[in-house]
Amino acid sequence: MQSRGEEVLKTAAITKIYPDGTQALRGVDFDLARGEVHGLLGENGAGKTTLSKILSGILRPTSGDVFVNGKKAEVRHPKEALKLGVGMVHQHFTLVRNFTAFENILLGTDVNPKGAGASKARQEILALSKDVGLGVELDAKVEDLALGAQQRVELLKMLYRKVQILILDEPTSSLTAPETVDLFKAVRRLKEEGKSAIFITHKLNEVLEICDRITVLRHGEVSGRIEAANADTKTLARMMVGRDVVFDLVKEPSHAGDPILEVSDLVVRGNRGEDAVKGVSFAVRRGEIFGIAGVEGNGQTELEEALSGVRRPSRGKIKLGGLEISSLSNNEIRKHSVGLIPEDRRQMGLILDMSVAENSILGREWERRFRGQGIALAWAKVKDHASRLIRSFEILVKGPDSPAKSMSGGNQQKVVVSRELTDDPDFVLAAQPTRGLDVAASDYIRRLLLKTRDSGKGVLVISADLDEVLQLSDVIGVMYEGKLLEVGPTEKMTRHKVGMLMGGVKE
Amino acid sequence: MKASIPTGTSGLLSSVAESAFAAGVGFLASGILLAVLGKDPIKAFYYLFEGSFGSANNFTITLAYAAPLILTALTFAVGVRAGLFNIGAEGTLYVGATAAVAAGLIHLPFGIGLLFVLIAAGAAGAAWSIPAYLLKSYRGVNEVISTIMMNNIALFAMQFVVLNYLLDPARSDKSASIPVDSRFPTLLPPNLTVAIFFSALVCFGVYYYLWQTPGGYELRAVGLNPEAAKFSGISPRRPMLYAFLLGGITAGLAGAVEVAGTFTPFAIYTGLSNLVNFGFNGIGVALIGRNHPMAIVLAGIFLGALQAGASSVQIAGISFEIVEVIEGMIVFAIAAPQLYRMFRRRLK
Ligand SMILES: Nc1ncnc2c1ncn2[C@@H]1O[C@H](COP(=O)(O)OP(=O)(O)OP(=O)(O)O)[C@@H](O)[C@H]1O
Ligand SMILES: [Mg+2]
Repeated sequence: MQSRGEEVLKTAAITKIYPDGTQALRGVDFDLARGEVHGLLGENGAGKTTLSKILSGILRPTSGDVFVNGKKAEVRHPKEALKLGVGMVHQHFTLVRNFTAFENILLGTDVNPKGAGASKARQEILALSKDVGLGVELDAKVEDLALGAQQRVELLKMLYRKVQILILDEPTSSLTAPETVDLFKAVRRLKEEGKSAIFITHKLNEVLEICDRITVLRHGEVSGRIEAANADTKTLARMMVGRDVVFDLVKEPSHAGDPILEVSDLVVRGNRGEDAVKGVSFAVRRGEIFGIAGVEGNGQTELEEALSGVRRPSRGKIKLGGLEISSLSNNEIRKHSVGLIPEDRRQMGLILDMSVAENSILGREWERRFRGQGIALAWAKVKDHASRLIRSFEILVKGPDSPAKSMSGGNQQKVVVSRELTDDPDFVLAAQPTRGLDVAASDYIRRLLLKTRDSGKGVLVISADLDEVLQLSDVIGVMYEGKLLEVGPTEKMTRHKVGMLMGGVKE
Repeated sequence: MKASIPTGTSGLLSSVAESAFAAGVGFLASGILLAVLGKDPIKAFYYLFEGSFGSANNFTITLAYAAPLILTALTFAVGVRAGLFNIGAEGTLYVGATAAVAAGLIHLPFGIGLLFVLIAAGAAGAAWSIPAYLLKSYRGVNEVISTIMMNNIALFAMQFVVLNYLLDPARSDKSASIPVDSRFPTLLPPNLTVAIFFSALVCFGVYYYLWQTPGGYELRAVGLNPEAAKFSGISPRRPMLYAFLLGGITAGLAGAVEVAGTFTPFAIYTGLSNLVNFGFNGIGVALIGRNHPMAIVLAGIFLGALQAGASSVQIAGISFEIVEVIEGMIVFAIAAPQLYRMFRRRLK
């Protein structure tokens, strides 16, 4: 192993207790060297985001010290952290959605996007973006940008502020494989310039690929630290969970019955008015998992929204249990025993300002089981329901009364998944069901989807994670530029073949 | 474990602290203003307090001002909870008051008369709120614009109705008065009527609807995250309709409270002069009360006190305009943090 550069960042015995009493960090020692990429691993709720927020001045530690370049640093505000050269790219982006990329990058600097220094700033940003190989449409509104592009904006925003230490909180969880490759290239280039990065992810192979050292957090404590060169996925998983983990998903042969979902010649428009789904036909049968693989942005989101009834198809038919639903709205479709796990869970699946209990009945608030006598909701019953979900899905939260926004990203996701799967729906649509979940939780969700299948229900999984699709599906379809390029049973769809199809190459 | 049902009150305590601090800032700033104008701030604040809380009688005047303000505040608060910026309470109050006076033309026995007046005012208020709903829901017209428009229409239309159909045969400056049997019963003559308790009861009803029923839950869900609400199967139109209707009813009732529940003249002056600004001031009350129905009761009494105290401040030789500026400064100081949060949320 080459010798490490000098230390640029260090923490000593950091603890963090949130106002509601949750102890998120318990004496964390962490350090980062110049030119190092230091991976941070840990289960959902282990404290990764909390630590990052402390380093970047968003949160203050309850006790403990932060040292930047050997000097004790009191970072009370993100601006102070930036002055010290520390910047963070958030797990959930913080861009202003109806501003352009350019405006977002300049937001909070002295440069007015329409004023004097604007053209110089534009030159600088373009140069930066060329340097690290991250292209961005500067004048596009952020809400029109794909998640990957939004993230590049966040990154450029930090680089424009000349950060030396970059904290990347789950940067890859919403990136396509090629976008991840680009990001890694950029990170390597920054490394060569002597910048350092803290890299958070749930994907073990990614830390092994990009990081020099890896620190594992468990329940707010450092449970281990290891040179990436000496680590493998098995060791890392054990360090995270605290025991040996076996992830051999046992998949019984499927007993597929008659179709529950039939889609024929479906055309769906995207946000910009273009045809995003261009004539797609397939059927999901009872007792079967149909997996749609594909690089994100090839029409999957629009397909998901059309099937969920929040986006009206411009042509074609969707039949659910024999019933034509393509012109039904979401609240009518929901009457037919479906579980819908949206891709964008924080935006579509949760009401962050409500409690976990309130979120656990979203869309089910009229059901008798949550009501008392008369018209009132019986909160005691609602809370029982939420507590059951918390227990059986191992959701890490203080209690059913805690607001959803106080949970870690992965646990927020579990709330949505648990709500949608718990009522035994006849048909489940799961879009990116394990994105942002730790290895154990992902495994758990996959088992649940298989169990749903085995009890004779139809499951449609849309996922950009090739391994996930291969592992779960009985039938695989590959989506490319709005079309299903090929559909076939999993036995016939090899990894290589699906990978090629995802890139649009048909053999 | 009654305390832990969702009541929307978590964080309300720190809001109270924040409001108290902001009120202090508001008083300080207006004290400085008074000093600059060469008036004695201490004396002014003394009279402000004396006029609103100084005696039982003065306190009942405070409550009389508070009763309609509390109800118009609910209009705005329910709107905000549903994600709407409904500033139509002003005009809807005119409509409710007019309907109340019209209903009072029919003489009914004690109790039933009041009930009839309230139903008429509430129903008229609800009906008046429907155009803004239809425009928003089916045409995408921003409710700020449509409710301002409806306020202006109400101002002229209700003046017209009062002049042409409801005028007191003996006088030309006001409408016919509501008969005694159709008024809110007086508890402590001359100012204290049942109206303030009625307003508080309506607040409790609105609170109950918002936090203890499925419909209210949907309304809040749509207000906090319309996309997630829609995706989970809540049709966005129904909660919006209910928010407008509920806002219309409360503003309509505020009109009834103003003409059937306060001391004079149990009628409407032809220029609507005894009605104006109760709707707009209700927005301030809602902001001070953090859009929570129960906190609005207190906030309404606070603003009622400022208004009741205003007339005695004039005794201290301070002109009415200055008193209004001072009131505005204090209300603004308290409402500012909430306004800031609401706009920041909108921007995101
Ligand atoms: N604002 C908050 N208030 C109270 N508790 C919080 C808050 N934010 C996070 N927590 C709690 O702190 C713990 C650590 O959360 P954190 O977000 O740091 O986890 P994480 O490691 O980033 O997880 P994930 O992989 O799911 O993103 C969790 O138990 C979480 O519930
Ligand atoms: Mg996190």
